[in-house]
Amino acid sequence: MEDRIVEFVNGLRAAGVRISLAESADAFRATEHIGIIDRGMFRAALRATLVKDSVDVPTFERLFPLYFGSGGPPMFDPNQELSSDDINKLKDAVRDLLGDDDRLQQLLRYLLEGANPTREEMERLANQAGVPLARHPYQQQWLTRRMLRQLGLDEEFQELMAQLFQKLEQMGMSREAMQRLAQIAEENLQRLEEQFEQYVGMQIAQNAAKQPRERQTFRGPDLMNRSFSSLNEREIAELRNQIRRLASRLRSRAALRQRRGKRGALDSKRTIRANLRHASIPIELKHRRRHLKPKLVLICDISTSVRAVVEFMLRLVYELQDQIHSARSFVFIDDIRDVSAEFAQHRPEIAVQKVLDDNPPGYYNTNLGYALTHFCKEHLGTVDHRTTVIILGDGRNNYASPRLDSFQEIKKRARKVVWFNPENRRQWGTGDSDMLVYEPLCDSVHIVGKLAELAEAIDHLFESR
Amino acid sequence: MFKDISEVKSALAAQQYIATDEIATVVYLAQKLQKPLLVEGPAGVGKTELAKAWAGAAKQELIRLQCYEGLDETKALYEWEYAKQMLYTQLLRDKLHDLLSDSKTLAEAADKLADEEDVFFSKRFLLPRPLLRAIVSETPTHLLIDEIDRADAEFEAFLLEVLSDFQISVPELGTIKAQHLPVVILTSNNTRELSEALKRRCLYLYIDYPTAEAELRIVKLKVPDLSPQLAKQAVELVQRLRKLDLKKHPSVSETIDWARALVMLNSKSLDQKTLENTLTVLLKHEHDVMRAQRLLSEFTIGDEKEEGEDDDDDDTVPPLPRRSSPKR
Ligand SMILES: Nc1ncnc2c1ncn2[C@@H]1O[C@H](COP(=O)(O)OP(=O)(O)OP(=O)(O)O)[C@@H](O)[C@H]1O
Ligand SMILES: [Mg+2]
Repeated sequence: MEDRIVEFVNGLRAAGVRISLAESADAFRATEHIGIIDRGMFRAALRATLVKDSVDVPTFERLFPLYFGSGGPPMFDPNQELSSDDINKLKDAVRDLLGDDDRLQQLLRYLLEGANPTREEMERLANQAGVPLARHPYQQQWLTRRMLRQLGLDEEFQELMAQLFQKLEQMGMSREAMQRLAQIAEENLQRLEEQFEQYVGMQIAQNAAKQPRERQTFRGPDLMNRSFSSLNEREIAELRNQIRRLASRLRSRAALRQRRGKRGALDSKRTIRANLRHASIPIELKHRRRHLKPKLVLICDISTSVRAVVEFMLRLVYELQDQIHSARSFVFIDDIRDVSAEFAQHRPEIAVQKVLDDNPPGYYNTNLGYALTHFCKEHLGTVDHRTTVIILGDGRNNYASPRLDSFQEIKKRARKVVWFNPENRRQWGTGDSDMLVYEPLCDSVHIVGKLAELAEAIDHLFESR
Repeated sequence: MFKDISEVKSALAAQQYIATDEIATVVYLAQKLQKPLLVEGPAGVGKTELAKAWAGAAKQELIRLQCYEGLDETKALYEWEYAKQMLYTQLLRDKLHDLLSDSKTLAEAADKLADEEDVFFSKRFLLPRPLLRAIVSETPTHLLIDEIDRADAEFEAFLLEVLSDFQISVPELGTIKAQHLPVVILTSNNTRELSEALKRRCLYLYIDYPTAEAELRIVKLKVPDLSPQLAKQAVELVQRLRKLDLKKHPSVSETIDWARALVMLNSKSLDQKTLENTLTVLLKHEHDVMRAQRLLSEFTIGDEKEEGEDDDDDDTVPPLPRRSSPKR
């Protein structure tokens, strides 16, 4: 059983659940207390020790029966229902019909005689169907069907059965017995399918667990280090699922910094004021609070080229709201829009979706210069000496004026202006990119082509004060 | 100490808490492994109640630390009782005067005063807050850290330190170590992700909405006056509402409130009128109430509403009484 638990832990890890050594040790200790007799309790013990996040619960529920399941229901034995005379007729008929076609003989042995496939038979079929190469849960159904086909369950099978029943009729089997036999075959077909399905699921989980180490623990980092533009929809969706976790890690780091840098110098004025009520005996000491939580204004390009990055940027920033003094967000393609209200009303993932839906790409040309100018006219009040202004975009301006004057105006008021650009440095200044003229005016520029880079850039926001 | 899982179950039942096998198993394990238990789940599924019932079942005091945004160490750990310190300073003024009067220099007086400092920073003036109370308690306790996700991450980091060794240092007093390790339960509504370090340290229990059967048992237990037939119908309806796409699904506590309302109104069946009058106990958003109304026009028995086409127009919904029910 210990080995099984180890395999199970590996399977969970391969499926993206993060389990530390300490936690798998907890699982062993837990099962020692609970025992393995009661499956429900055994399951609860493993779940409480190995899964610490509600998003991982479905993965656990999917894998548990694969590792600790019965392997599927056993075949139904027709001897309980048919007379030995009928059984003999059946055997004769099958032999007559199939001669020495081993494969079909085997199939009919499962379905009509209720034999259970042995481990070796299962393995052989799985190998033929290509199961050893499978690594993804969604391949389970398809491979199960392939195994059944390997066994001879194809279009011709129906016909074969019809011939068999014809033969049985000729041999004088009663109508009731034949009906019963057909039911048994039907039932056993389902059970066989279930057995195969469980076997395949288990194999897939184990194959996934055998993948190289760096892939094994967490598929996230892998995707995190690929450029946004190279990800397909499925991969993006997978990354989305990791956002809260990523945010949590950033939060822990930010919170630790806060803790360390918490106490500033003694604030004598506030101390005196606070202690007036204690007859000016300085019992309560007041320290100067450091304003460590950043105040942010985000200006995001949501034209097609930058959309994915913006989505992740906004999600992360708003998941980290508790570490931020305040955030205002603006999006632009050709003109600028204040979208802060969406984030005040909805959870981050919903707000982001709304913002993107409300501002479809493709109809307008990006015009950063105009957006900046409009920002200065309408929204400059959101920027003060504590504000970090972040511009997220590729600096591609469709050959319009970059409006450095507006940029300067914002910069004058802000604590600093930071640029997040998903493009490589190599691409800056090519075509309609104005990045090279903006760059010298920025306090810092971060390349954010991958989620890992974006996370690091955001982490920086909490670092400097 | 519970000796096995079925004992946990019956002990919790004696506290009026209906525990599933899973809940009982995990509680038993938390006790055996001496690990904090982190309980997550939607609002009102009985997370806090579990902590209370567990402490009650173990016959131990429950110390509760309710978290909120801005909660910090001093409020969770201890504060100095300034007023009392001041009072003592005033009352002891003459004594202090005597003590200091023969000092020749200011420095000498200050030194002498410093020697007496301990008097003013002793346990006498220390006001213990929940965490310290759990640590200094003479008897074993249960410590409930409720809604940890509402506290700042900074506080979470601090809490992690406390949970790892149950000793804290008060600069003026030195280190204080727990005499008994408290049983620790943390709850979270999952409004934000907790740190991995904290989760690693805990056992984890996700409590979802109860099954119809379990919920019926809870209702029968908490609202025994409701007729069994009506209770069954009420629970069925709540379970159906949870399958709808609503802003906020009714929680167990709302089912209970509703059941009580039905008793109070002396309702005999869940007819259209009863529903109209009471639905706002169950659903808190106007929009949700409207959606539910549409479902219910099919649900109520003997109601002769025409099977109109799927009309999404909210105007067709009859006006509703405004919410007047008290919040729990
Ligand atoms: N399993 C149960 N057995 C008995 N009563 C229950 C159970 N589950 C919930 N309740 C009832 O539901 C009410 C709400 O439970 P409780 O306040 O503990 O929920 P909660 O999960 O802590 O909610 P919140 O997240 O809002 O704090 C309790 O007063 C209790 O009466
Ligand atoms: Mg609660």
